[in-house]
Amino acid sequence: MAYVIGIDIGGTFTDAFVADETGRVAATKTPSTPPDFAEGFLTVLDDLAGALGIGTADLLADTNYIVHGTTSTLNALITGDVATVGFLTTRGHADSIAIMNLEGRYAGLGSDQVQDMVRTNKPAPLVPRELIREIDERVDYEGRVLVPLDEEGARVVIRELVAEGAQAIAVSLLWSFVNPAHERRIGELIRDEAPELYVALSSDVSPRIREYARSATTIMNTQVGPRLRDYLRPLEAELHSRGFAGSLLVMQGSGGCVDSSDAPSRAITTIGSVLTGGVVGCTRLAEQLGHRNVISTDMGGTTFLAGLVIGGEPVATTSTVLNQYSLNVPMVDVHTLGAGGGAIAWLDPGRNLHVGPRSAGARPGPACYGEGGTEPTVTDVDLLLGIVNPDNFLGGRKKLSKDLAAEAVRTRIAEPLGLSVDEAAAAVYAIQNAQTADLVRQVVVTSGQDPRDFVLYAFGGAGPMHCASYAADLEIGQVIVPLGPTAAVFSAYGLAASDIVLTEELSSPSNFPLPADEFNAAFTHLRKELEARLTAQRLRFSEVTYRNEVDLRYTMQLAEVPTPVPAGELDEAELEKIGLAFGELYERRYGKGSGFAEAGLQLITYRTRAVGELPIRPLLTEIPVAGGPARPNGHRRVFLDARRGWQQADIYDYRDLASGHEITGPAIVEAPTTTVAIPEGCAGRVDRLGNLVMRYNRSES
Amino acid sequence: MAVIPVSGSEDFANLPMSPEETRRVVGDSVPLHDVDRSLVDGIDPLTYEVVRHRLTSITEEMGDALKRMSGSVVVTDCNDFDAGIMDEVGDVVQVGLYNTELAASLDMAANWTLRHRAHRPGIGQGDMFLCNDPWVGGGLHQNDVSLFAPLFIDGELFCWTGAVAHQVDLGGVSPGSWSIGATDVFWESVPTPPVKIVEGGEIRTDIEDVYLRRSRVPKLVALDLRAKIGANNVAHERIQALCDKYGAVVVKAVMRRTMDDAESRLRAKLRELPDGSWTSVAHQDSARAGDREIYKIVLTLTKAGDQLTLDFTGTDPQVDGLINCTFAGLRGGVIPVVLTMLCGDLPWAPGGIHRCIDIVSEPGTINNCTFPAGIGKASVASTWATTNVTTECLAGLLDTHPEHGKRAMSVCCGTWDFTLLAGVDQRGGGFVTMVCDSMAGGLGARTDSDGVDTGGLACIPMGRVADVEMNEFAFPMLYLWRREEADSGGPGRYRGGVGASSCFLPYGSPLGGVHLVVSAPGKALPLASGLSGGLPAGTQHDVLLRATSVHEAFAAGRIPSSLEELGGELDLLPTHHETDLGEADVYFTHWQGGGGYGDPLRRDPEAVAADLRAHKVSARAAADVYGVVLDDAGAPDPGATEAHRAALRRRRAGLEPEEAHA
Amino acid sequence: MSIRIDDNLEQAADGSVSCRHCQAAVGVAAEPLRDARVRLSAPRDAGPSVRSNARHFTDREVVLRQSFCPGCLTMLQTEIVPGDEPSHRTRTVAVRA
Repeated sequence: MAYVIGIDIGGTFTDAFVADETGRVAATKTPSTPPDFAEGFLTVLDDLAGALGIGTADLLADTNYIVHGTTSTLNALITGDVATVGFLTTRGHADSIAIMNLEGRYAGLGSDQVQDMVRTNKPAPLVPRELIREIDERVDYEGRVLVPLDEEGARVVIRELVAEGAQAIAVSLLWSFVNPAHERRIGELIRDEAPELYVALSSDVSPRIREYARSATTIMNTQVGPRLRDYLRPLEAELHSRGFAGSLLVMQGSGGCVDSSDAPSRAITTIGSVLTGGVVGCTRLAEQLGHRNVISTDMGGTTFLAGLVIGGEPVATTSTVLNQYSLNVPMVDVHTLGAGGGAIAWLDPGRNLHVGPRSAGARPGPACYGEGGTEPTVTDVDLLLGIVNPDNFLGGRKKLSKDLAAEAVRTRIAEPLGLSVDEAAAAVYAIQNAQTADLVRQVVVTSGQDPRDFVLYAFGGAGPMHCASYAADLEIGQVIVPLGPTAAVFSAYGLAASDIVLTEELSSPSNFPLPADEFNAAFTHLRKELEARLTAQRLRFSEVTYRNEVDLRYTMQLAEVPTPVPAGELDEAELEKIGLAFGELYERRYGKGSGFAEAGLQLITYRTRAVGELPIRPLLTEIPVAGGPARPNGHRRVFLDARRGWQQADIYDYRDLASGHEITGPAIVEAPTTTVAIPEGCAGRVDRLGNLVMRYNRSES
Repeated sequence: MAVIPVSGSEDFANLPMSPEETRRVVGDSVPLHDVDRSLVDGIDPLTYEVVRHRLTSITEEMGDALKRMSGSVVVTDCNDFDAGIMDEVGDVVQVGLYNTELAASLDMAANWTLRHRAHRPGIGQGDMFLCNDPWVGGGLHQNDVSLFAPLFIDGELFCWTGAVAHQVDLGGVSPGSWSIGATDVFWESVPTPPVKIVEGGEIRTDIEDVYLRRSRVPKLVALDLRAKIGANNVAHERIQALCDKYGAVVVKAVMRRTMDDAESRLRAKLRELPDGSWTSVAHQDSARAGDREIYKIVLTLTKAGDQLTLDFTGTDPQVDGLINCTFAGLRGGVIPVVLTMLCGDLPWAPGGIHRCIDIVSEPGTINNCTFPAGIGKASVASTWATTNVTTECLAGLLDTHPEHGKRAMSVCCGTWDFTLLAGVDQRGGGFVTMVCDSMAGGLGARTDSDGVDTGGLACIPMGRVADVEMNEFAFPMLYLWRREEADSGGPGRYRGGVGASSCFLPYGSPLGGVHLVVSAPGKALPLASGLSGGLPAGTQHDVLLRATSVHEAFAAGRIPSSLEELGGELDLLPTHHETDLGEADVYFTHWQGGGGYGDPLRRDPEAVAADLRAHKVSARAAADVYGVVLDDAGAPDPGATEAHRAALRRRRAGLEPEEAHA
Repeated sequence: MSIRIDDNLEQAADGSVSCRHCQAAVGVAAEPLRDARVRLSAPRDAGPSVRSNARHFTDREVVLRQSFCPGCLTMLQTEIVPGDEPSHRTRTVAVRA
C-alpha cells in the first residue's frame, strides 16, 4: 500500500487528509499547538493512522510523501520572531529599503486607512540601520561592471556585521539580476568569513528588476530561512525515527510544493502556504467536476478570502505585500477581502450603516458567542435571521445566544436608526452580501474577466450562508458548496492533491522581439536550473512539464502581462506570435484600444514553471445515491431576501442527504462544518461527491 | 514686460456656481436629471450603503483603469492623477485617493462646460470634453489635462465622470512645458478651454490633432488621452448598470445624500472645535529665472460655529513669472489638506465639503491670478504654497482638540523639487521625463508622533517613486545615490519626516549628455514650517557639479558618496535653471522634509539617540538643536543632557548663561 | 475651564493665555504671544537644516524669528521669513461667554 498525506497547520487547527492508491481516504482534525507546531503535526498523524485502523509506524512506512502547509513562516514575519539579519548593498543605496519607494506608507492598507493619511505610518525598518553596510561595486543596466567589487572592503563589513550579532546575511546589489557576479563573490566571501551563517543573494531569491522589492524579498527570506530550517530539520528527523521513509514536502504560496531540504533557501515562497490550500483544493475539485473557471470564496470567522481558477489553473500573481513591504513572491493570488463572520456592523457619526472591515475576531467574537462581545457581527445577524441554528452551529460544537445577538443589534443599530431588530438584521445581511459582491467583482474584473463566466465555490464556516446572495448579485449561475466527507479538511485535501511546482525567473529587460538565440538561451538557462532542482527533490514524478512565460509590456506603459511562450527552440516568426498574443491578453485585461502598440514592446522577465506531477492523485470519493426524495427534519422562519421577507423554510440535516437529492429554496442545510442558505428561486442538488450545487431559476437571476 | 489685460479672457474666469443658478443658466438646452428632496431624505440605510459602496468601488476602478493604460511614469509610477464622479451640475460625489489637488476643480470645469457648451456645440450621450485651462478648472496648470464625460440616462444628463492626469509635455518654451523664463502665459503651453474631443463615442481626430500637435511627446499624450477615455467608459458602464438595477432616482438620491452626509458630519466636527481665527503665511522664492524676490500668501482661517472662512487678504499681487495660480489652483491647494486633516474619517465627497468652506480672495493676486499671468508651475508653486498655509492654519485649529488634534500635522515637504530631463535615450529615442524622486518628501510632524520619513506629499495620499533600476533602465542616467538626508526633517518635540536626495549623472545617451530643467523654490528660506514652536524642515538644496572626477573614481574602484569626493566645479543652483549636463557633470537634488512640532528641547533624548543611529539627525543637530549629550555607547546621558539643554534654552533666547541666577 | 491652544499654550476662561509648562502669563486671546520673548537671528542658527546662505538666492534679508515663553523659555513659535515683513503668524481663540 502507498499513501499520500496532506497536513495543514493553521493558527487554530491542524487538519490532515490521507489517501491511498486505491482511492480510500480519511480525514482528521486536531487543535494546533503553538509555539511548537510539530507536536500537533505528530498528533494528527496518530489520528490519521487510527482512522485508517493501522499503526502510525505502518502508515509512515508506507507513505510516499507528506505535503505540509505551514503558517510558521508567515507567523514569524508577522510576530517579528525572525533571525537578526545583516544587509549588504551597493554604495549609495542603503536607504532604498527605508524609503520603500514611499509606497510602504500605505501598501496593503484598505482604502479607509489610506484615506486617513495623517495616521498612516511606514512599518518598522526591516533591518536596523546599524546592520546595513554599503559596498563599493557597480554594475550598469546592461550588466557591465563599472566599478569592480571591493573584496577587501566587503570582508571588513562582513566581519563587522558578524561582530554586531548578525545571524544571517542578505545581499542585494543594483542590477545583480543581470550580472550576479558580485553577489556570488560576496556569498563566497561570507562563507569564507563566517561559514555557519545563513546567506541569501537577491540574484538567487528574486532575480527581478526593481531593487526595492528585490531587496525586501531577499531580506525577509533571510529572516525566515533559518527559522524554517530549524523547524523542518528536527521534524523530518522525528518522522524518520518513527519509520517515515518518504519525502516531506512543503507547500509554497504558488500552489505547488517543494522538498523540505530545498524549502529553507527559498523560505519566502512558503508565505501563503496555508492560504493556498483552499484554492488548490478547489482546483482539484473543479477538475473532477469539469469546471474550468471558478471563483473560490472562503469566508471564515475572521477573514474572507477570494481566489480565481481560470482555464483549470489557479490565477497566480508575481508579487504580494506583507507588513506593507512589497515582495516578489510568485503566489496563488488570494485576496483578503475584509472580515468574515466576525465583521462588525456599526453606525458612523452620520448614522450611516456600515459592515466591517473591523472584525470582532476570535476573541471576544460575535455577541452571540457570549464571550463578552457587545458589537453586532455578521454571525449575530445570521443567527437572528434564522439561518444559523443556535443549537447546531459548527455541528453543535458552539452554543449561540440569540438574546445577546438581538441585544447587540437592538442597541447599536436598530434603535439609533429607528428600525426593528429584524429590519436592522436584514439590512446588515444585505449590505454584507452586496459589499462582498463588490469586492469579488473587483478581483474578477481586475484580472480581465467577467464574473458571469464563472462558477462560484463557497466554503469556510460562514461562506455558504451568504454565497447564494452574493453570487446572484454577480449574476453567477451556479454555486458549489463543497460538502463531501472531506469538507472539514478541504485545504489538507488540496495539499495532498498538489504537485511539485518550482519556478525560476530572470529579469533581462530588452526591446521585444529580440534575436531568437538570445531568447532561447534565457529559457535554456532556466530549464537547466530547474532540472537540477527537480533532481534534488528526491522524488519520482509521473510526469514533468515545463511552462515558459515572459513578462511583456508596451514600452511606454507600466503594466507587465505574463505571456505564455511555447516550448522548444523558437524562431523569429514565433517570437512575433508571442507579441501578438501579448496584445490580446493586454486588451482582454485592460480594455480594447488600451495598448499602445506603436511604442513597441519590451520584455522584462523570463519565467519557467516546472510542474512535477506526483504519482498519486487522490480523488474525492463518491457518496451513496439517494433512495427517495430529501426529507427535511424541521422548519423555521428565515429571512434570506429583502424582497421576500420572513419565510417558512425547510431545514435539512446534511447527514440525511445523499447523491441526487433535490432541495428547493427557501431552505437551510445544516452540515457539521457550516450552514447553507438556499433562497427562494434557487434550487440545490447534492452531487455524487456530496457537494451541494445551487442554481437560480433563469427568471430569478 | 508687465502683464497686459486681455479683453475677452473674462469669459473663462470661472468661479463655482450653485446648482440652482446653474440650472437657471442651462435652461432647457440640456435636460438635467433631478431627484426630489423627499427621496433623498427617505432613502433607507440599506440601499444607501449598498449603492454608496458601489460608487466608491467604481471610482477605484476608474483610477485602476487610468493607471494601467497610461504611458506616463508620473501616472503609472507616481500616481499623479485622479478621477471622480460628479452629479448632473458637476458637484463631486466621490473622489479617488490619488492627487486630490488635481481633482479639486473638476466640478468647476464640468459646470462651466454645462453653462457654455450646452447650446453650442451641444452636450450629448457619448461626448467627452477635454480641458487644460486652469481659469476654467479641471487642473492647476496646463500640464493637468482633464477629460470629463456626461452620462445620459433616459435622455437626461444624469451625472458626469472625470479623469485628470499630469501630461509630461504640452509645448511651451522649455521641455516639460516648464518655461522657467516665462513672464506670462504666452510663453507656456496653450490653455485649452473645454472642447468636445470625443463625440458620440468616437474620438474627433481633428480636435485630437490640435491637442497633440503642441507636445514634444505626442504619442505619450495620445496614449494618456485613451487612458482617460477608458476610465470614463468603465465608470459609465458601471453607473448605467447601477441605475438599471436600483433606478436612476435612487442612485441620484444616494449621490445627494453622500454629499449631504459629508457636509453634516464635517459640520458636526467643526462644532466640536472652538471658534477663533488662525493666521499664517507661506512664502516662495523667485517667480522665474533670474528673479530674486520672495512672495507671500497670507491666510486667515476663521472658524465660526460650523463654517470655515478662508480669507487670503494680504496675499501678494500676481507676478511676471510662472508661479501664479488661478482660483481653481487656490482651491486645489485648499482641498487636499481639508480632506486629509479634517475628513480623514469622513466620506470624500467634495461637493458636500465645499459647502462648509467660504473662500475670500481678490482676483489679481498670486493665488487667484487673472489672464494672462504665467501659471506654468502653478501646481507646485502658488497652489502648493496655498496648501502649506492652509495646513498651518487648519493644524492650529485642530490642535485645540485632544481627539481631532491627532489628525493635525505640520507642513509636509515644502515644495516639489522639479527636475526634468530631456534628450535622446540609450536606445536612440527622444525622451522627456520628470524625475519624480522628490515625491518621497517628508511628512509633517503630528501632535503625538513624528512625521513619516520620505512619506510623500500632502496632496497625494498614494504617491510613489520609481525604483532606481527602473529609472536607469528607462532613461540615460546613472545614480550615485538616493538616500534620506539627516536633519532635513524639521526639529521639534516630534520631528518632521526627513526628505531625501538623489545624485546622478548622464549615462548612455548617444549625445553624451542630457538637457536639465530645474525649478524648485525653498532655497532662500525653508517652506515647510513647524508648529507649536517646532522648526521648519530644511531648505531645498540643488547642486550642479561640472567636470567632476566621477569617472576617475569609478576607475579607481570607488563610488563617491559625498559632493566633496566628486571634485569638479560646484554650482549652487538658483530656484530656476536650465542647462545641459555633460558626461562628467553630476547633479545633486535634495528635497525637503516636513515641519516639526513642539520645542525640540522637549524631545525624548532616547528618540534623538535613535534618530542619530538611523541617520535621521546629525551629531551636530543632536547636540545643538536637541541639546542631547550622548555617552560613548551612544546612549543619552541624562544629567549632562539636562545641563546642556538648560544652557541652550538661554542661549537661543539670546540670554547670557550667567543671567541664569538673576 | 481652560482651552488648549497648542503644545505649549492654554487659554483661561477670562481669555488670558499662559504657558502649559510653567504657567507663566504669555498673552491674551487677541494676542496670545503678546508677552513672549522674541529673538531675531540668522537663519542658519536654526541648525544644519538650513543648507545655504539666503543671500545666494535673494537680495532681501531673511531672518530666524523665534518667540519664547517668558518664564521657562520654551520655544513657542519659530519662523524663517523675510526680515522686512511683520510676523503674519497669529491666532485668536474666542473667549467663551
